[in-house]
Amino acid sequence: MVTAEELAYGMERESVAKGPLEIFEGGGQVVTDRDDRQTVGEPFVDNPRVSARNVNVYYDEKHAIHDVSLDLGENEVLAMIGPSGCGKSTFLRCLNRMNDTVASCRVTGKINFDGEDINSPKIDVVPLRAQVGMVFQKPNPFPKSIYENIAFGARIHGLARHRYELDEIVEGSLQRAGLWDEVKDRLEQPGTGLSGGQQQRLCIARTIAVSPEVILMDEPCSALDPIATAKIEELIDELRKQFTIAIVTHSMQQAARVSQRTAYFHLGDLIEAGDTKTVFTTPRHRLTEDYITGRFG
Amino acid sequence: MWCVNIVSSMSDLEHTGQRAINTVYAGLGRRYAAERRFRLYGMLAVLSGLAFLVVMFTSIISNGYSAFRQHYVQLTVEYDESRVDRNEPAASDFEGIVKSSMREMFPWMSGRSDKRKLYGLVSGDAAYAIRDRVGDNPSLIGSREALWVLLDDDADMFFKGYVTPVRRQLMSSGITLALEGEKAVLTGDEAAFEVIVTAVRDHLQAQLAVARKEFEDMGRLLEETEAGGDRDEVVRFKAKLESLRMQISGLQARISSTSLNEELGSGMPSFLINLDGVYIRINAITATGVSGVVFAEDVTGLPTIFDQWQLVTLEMPPADRRLSDKEIVVLLALQDRGQVESRFNSVFFTAGDSREPEQSGILGALKGSMYMLIVTLLLSFPIGVAAAVYLEEFAPQNQWTDFIEVNINNLAAVPSIVFGLLGLAVFINFFGLPRSAPLVGGLALTLMTLPTIIISGRAALKSIPPSIREAALGIGASRVQTVFYHVLPLALPGMLTGTIIGMAQALGESAPLLMIGMVAFVVDVPQGFTDPATVLPVQIYLWADSPERAFVERTSAAIMVLLGFLITMNALAVVLRKRFERRW
Ligand SMILES: Nc1ncnc2c1ncn2[C@@H]1O[C@H](COP(=O)(O)OP(=O)(O)O)[C@@H](O)[C@H]1O
Ligand SMILES: [Mg+2]
Repeated sequence: MVTAEELAYGMERESVAKGPLEIFEGGGQVVTDRDDRQTVGEPFVDNPRVSARNVNVYYDEKHAIHDVSLDLGENEVLAMIGPSGCGKSTFLRCLNRMNDTVASCRVTGKINFDGEDINSPKIDVVPLRAQVGMVFQKPNPFPKSIYENIAFGARIHGLARHRYELDEIVEGSLQRAGLWDEVKDRLEQPGTGLSGGQQQRLCIARTIAVSPEVILMDEPCSALDPIATAKIEELIDELRKQFTIAIVTHSMQQAARVSQRTAYFHLGDLIEAGDTKTVFTTPRHRLTEDYITGRFG
Repeated sequence: MWCVNIVSSMSDLEHTGQRAINTVYAGLGRRYAAERRFRLYGMLAVLSGLAFLVVMFTSIISNGYSAFRQHYVQLTVEYDESRVDRNEPAASDFEGIVKSSMREMFPWMSGRSDKRKLYGLVSGDAAYAIRDRVGDNPSLIGSREALWVLLDDDADMFFKGYVTPVRRQLMSSGITLALEGEKAVLTGDEAAFEVIVTAVRDHLQAQLAVARKEFEDMGRLLEETEAGGDRDEVVRFKAKLESLRMQISGLQARISSTSLNEELGSGMPSFLINLDGVYIRINAITATGVSGVVFAEDVTGLPTIFDQWQLVTLEMPPADRRLSDKEIVVLLALQDRGQVESRFNSVFFTAGDSREPEQSGILGALKGSMYMLIVTLLLSFPIGVAAAVYLEEFAPQNQWTDFIEVNINNLAAVPSIVFGLLGLAVFINFFGLPRSAPLVGGLALTLMTLPTIIISGRAALKSIPPSIREAALGIGASRVQTVFYHVLPLALPGMLTGTIIGMAQALGESAPLLMIGMVAFVVDVPQGFTDPATVLPVQIYLWADSPERAFVERTSAAIMVLLGFLITMNALAVVLRKRFERRW
């Protein structure tokens, strides 16, 4: 049995050992053979919590996501990796309709959650986003007190009828986010006064305070130092028991450490999806292999 | 191309063995010099701005500070039963009381026009003051008391030194007084009247200089005309030249004569001699002394020899000032007796406008401005903020919103008088709202300030980082919740700034208000939003347009009040902004 860490280190060693790049041919042109872009591996699982089918996303004319089909299993962590600009964030934001806020963005395809297509007009985004929470790349606590940061979600959704219920929610969320001991004496102080790692955990606590079922995380550690990152990773592992998590990361080590399944995106295509260990140790697609061995990205 | 250059220069560096850092050092001096230069320009700009500000403030304050004090005169008021009606005090002849009081003090002001001048020295407000006094204390009827009342604005101006410079000199070379009916003849040695003699000589010299200049000009004109050959003209000019020559020689003779014998005309400064409280105005200067008129009722008891006396020079000639010598003598006599006092000008802060400067005040305009700003604020702030929030946060991006946006931006550039016309046409003519009312003014100015508030409000909303919106939306807040709980509170300080700018603009605006009749002469202090009123800038304009000297200082004082209002408003905005900002 290899631990996630050993796996990550092993991959790095391996990447050094590999030969030179072969992906660019004929004066730097990227291979564009469409057949080459069929998803390989196991994008689908039994009893999915969220299942996306034939999702296409367009920013005006730009076709950002091509026909992606992918499942999120119950209580699993799905890592999405891939080079910058390949559409990981775009796909993630489809899952709670955050792309609605981008005027130029258009989404087609089906995304089933609780047996209903979330893109259908009769779905209300407010309850959807209460069930599918999101943690952003840059920690974005509200410029209000720590307490208010957590309490806001519970309050707008009417989860607490009394002050003590609200207190309980705040304490519980902060405890689950591993932040309670650090902030319990300064709940009235601004959330923006915390360190970067603490802010990000505050954002996670804020997300879980409304008791979502799915949590989407878009590179939650990219603005953090290694120690803060380690804490968040621990937290994600802990949260998995209760939530279904989709995490976008540019760090393959992180993906290897925290996720059960991994999806590799490339220029808007879902190239490969499957068991994390399999994807990292025996990638089935050449592009995946090139990426995880550090040839590009 | 540039890439080749870099490569070649890199290799240059390598060839010469120079390090890049040396090049950096070589250019460092120039860089710092540029920086210093830029700082200097910046400082110069700031300093020149400050200098203008200082000049403006000194000019306004030096012109206006005197308006905050006002001179009062003490009258002995007799609440005579023949004048004050016990049953109906309001209908009494209070003016008569004032007049008789003045008459008693200065019986020598006896002619019709002299009397009118005498009464004119006290403000018309005196009668109202007496009326109020009797109204409050009916028991006073039948008695007499000393009462301080307002002086007329001209008298006030005199005591503030704006009518004429007054020079008082204590003379200690003895003079002798001889009375020949109305006329007083004063004799003394040369030193006694030296000041007057010198002044007369200077005056004659000035006349001489004018005549000489005229003579030269005429001579040149004559030469030109002779060359032109117009006979009649030549003859006329020659005659004129001759008369000027005569005038000059006459003046020269008068100046050089050892014993002057001149009348003092109204083009010269006035000389008053104060003999123990009795004033004599000098009319003529003779070889042995001076002669003049006595301004006093009874001079029989006056001694004939004075070792010490006072010479009072009114340097502005009577022809050039609003008060005659007699009026000034009255005022000086009142001052000598301690019956004139300078007090804080409370009228200025408690009265509305008036034709009489001493009775006019700023309160009417101040309240008018306040009522108008309240209307403007109550309408433009909520509407402006709502419009900004809708356009920025909720409106779909389409041609309609583009069209609206362009129009709002254009509206901000529309000359303000147009809003006045609009206000006149819509609010007064169509809706039939009253003219000159702060309500209508506020409505018109709302139209003017709305674009400012909307534009600054949208800028404030735009400046809120999208991450805050995403954070709220991401946990399921609706758009309204996102905006009202998170975005708006953060944008509010910026919106307040815009609102204050708009309000300050509205406070200083006069053009649109002229159109809706707020330029009217309003005496009463407005008590509500629909009372006729004027506003501070219009009041300033009205006063600046008035000829009376007293309105000049009131203009500056009103400007100070306006600036004070503005500064208070801005301070309030800063405090509000600080309060909102403290919530991060
Ligand atoms: N708001 C947007 N408007 C237009 N294009 C966008 C927008 N957001 C992302 N894109 C484009 O979509 C593609 C995918 O972006 P993104 O999902 O952010 O990539 P990733 O998160 O994998 O780095 C990129 O080519 C990017 O330029
Ligand atoms: Mg991204």
